[in-house]
Amino acid sequence: MTTKGRQAVIAGVATSDYPLLPDLSEHAVHGQAADRALADAGLSMADVDGFASAGFFPMYALGVTEYLGLHPAYFDETNAGGASFEVLVEHAAYAVESGAAEVVLVTYGSVQLSQMGRTLGTGAPGGAGALAPGPAIYDALWGNTLVGNYALAAQRHMHEFGTTPEQLAAVAVTMRKHAASNPFAQKRELITVEDVVNSRLVADPLHKLDCCVISDGGAACVVTSAERAADLPNAAVYVLGGAHASTHQMNLSAMADLTVTGAAQCGPLAFRRAGITPADVDVAQLYDSFTITVLLTVEDLGFCAKGEGGAFVEDDGLGLAGRLPTNTDGGGLSACHPGMRGMFLIVESVRQLRGECGETQVPGAAIAVAHGTGGMLSASATLVLGRDAP
Amino acid sequence: MSERFFPDEMPMPAANAETLAFWEAAARHSLVVQRCAGCGQTRHPPGPVCPACRSTASQWLELPGTGSVYTFSVVRQAFLPALSDRLPYVVCAVELDQGGGVRMVSNLVGCEPERVAIDLAVTVVWEDMGPDLALPRFTPLGTTVARP
Repeated sequence: MTTKGRQAVIAGVATSDYPLLPDLSEHAVHGQAADRALADAGLSMADVDGFASAGFFPMYALGVTEYLGLHPAYFDETNAGGASFEVLVEHAAYAVESGAAEVVLVTYGSVQLSQMGRTLGTGAPGGAGALAPGPAIYDALWGNTLVGNYALAAQRHMHEFGTTPEQLAAVAVTMRKHAASNPFAQKRELITVEDVVNSRLVADPLHKLDCCVISDGGAACVVTSAERAADLPNAAVYVLGGAHASTHQMNLSAMADLTVTGAAQCGPLAFRRAGITPADVDVAQLYDSFTITVLLTVEDLGFCAKGEGGAFVEDDGLGLAGRLPTNTDGGGLSACHPGMRGMFLIVESVRQLRGECGETQVPGAAIAVAHGTGGMLSASATLVLGRDAP
Repeated sequence: MSERFFPDEMPMPAANAETLAFWEAAARHSLVVQRCAGCGQTRHPPGPVCPACRSTASQWLELPGTGSVYTFSVVRQAFLPALSDRLPYVVCAVELDQGGGVRMVSNLVGCEPERVAIDLAVTVVWEDMGPDLALPRFTPLGTTVARP
């Protein structure tokens, strides 16, 4: 992605504490992740001249910069739901490479789990007599849920390609295996395919254990130039390429094919920009809001053909010794999912490329892919990161 | 408990310039979708511009109201507290006959969740919500629904 000879790198990463933070506000979670990521990079707030974040409210990044006392010359809060942070880091790389910013801090924070406890039963967005204007109402009227939307895609995939509940379950089983090595993971007890398919159905064909956990937590990274990173303490990780895509907003009526996500558009583009093919990828961090999300993503990114995702993920296909080691921290299915977990995918990718992942380290990992999925399978964003200079 | 399929607290559509004609037709129990006057492509939900050819000219195409289930889910855990006593219910995407491939998300009613299957032939049933609003849901062809 180099222009004017500048190459963007990630110089520091961190997560906040997780998965339960009853004593922290959302901004405080951002702050904790930000301080740790800057320390990891060997930089301070005074070095930051660019900032990016996204959350559930408009002018979100302004709120965080106010809290952090930042007055950045560059800011961005592109919101693509769960795909936001892959987009924000792609943009930050462009900003660094164009010279618009020297050090861009990207932070995420959420206290979704604790917040639920505080407001339980007192209200739900769009409920209780609300009037829903515009096209959004066309799907909201029917009592569909977030899980229900992903279930519609899963049901169709099973119908078209013979994908089984057991194959979907295999994704959750592997994520849990990885989470068992992560001391912070929300769920660490090993599970079997039978446990998943025997767990309660939330929205057929998705069971409780096909769904991510609900957590508090945050994460951050520092994007700067390779030149600036040269004398910083940790090995820089290179931003080799990124791309993003959308298929619709919230109405699945408007999604052309429920078995094909925007990853089929942005994955190949990101790989081309990075000068790699799927075969070059050593480790992947793929948004796993639900098991079906991962299955669609491995197909659409080209790790296997459309319809073959079930066979690709079964038998620990996403395990450390599998076809594509994936979500080595345990993912959103087991480790931590505070609502928009795309930043966690980037942090874990960087840690893999720096060789810091201990029991779940993929030996010699040189190319990592972080891929976010947002909305109702609506937005997709791929980021290719490399250990070595391009 | 309300006699309606969903409780009265459910959100209701607030029509705008693009969607008013859909809801006016619905009130007459007529199922319509938007068709581009330029290239003929149908679309749903209604919108101001044809995503295929960018034309802003459109017509309303009246459909027979039959179709087939493209995909579905049996919702067993509600998000809105008001819906918890209606569980389980079926959300489906119906591919509408003569609709040029257009799909509509709605509920499938008058059908045990175990009987729902992709490709099931369905027809529209209307629930009158008031003098100017009726909601389209679907039921298996040949089913008589006392209260949609």
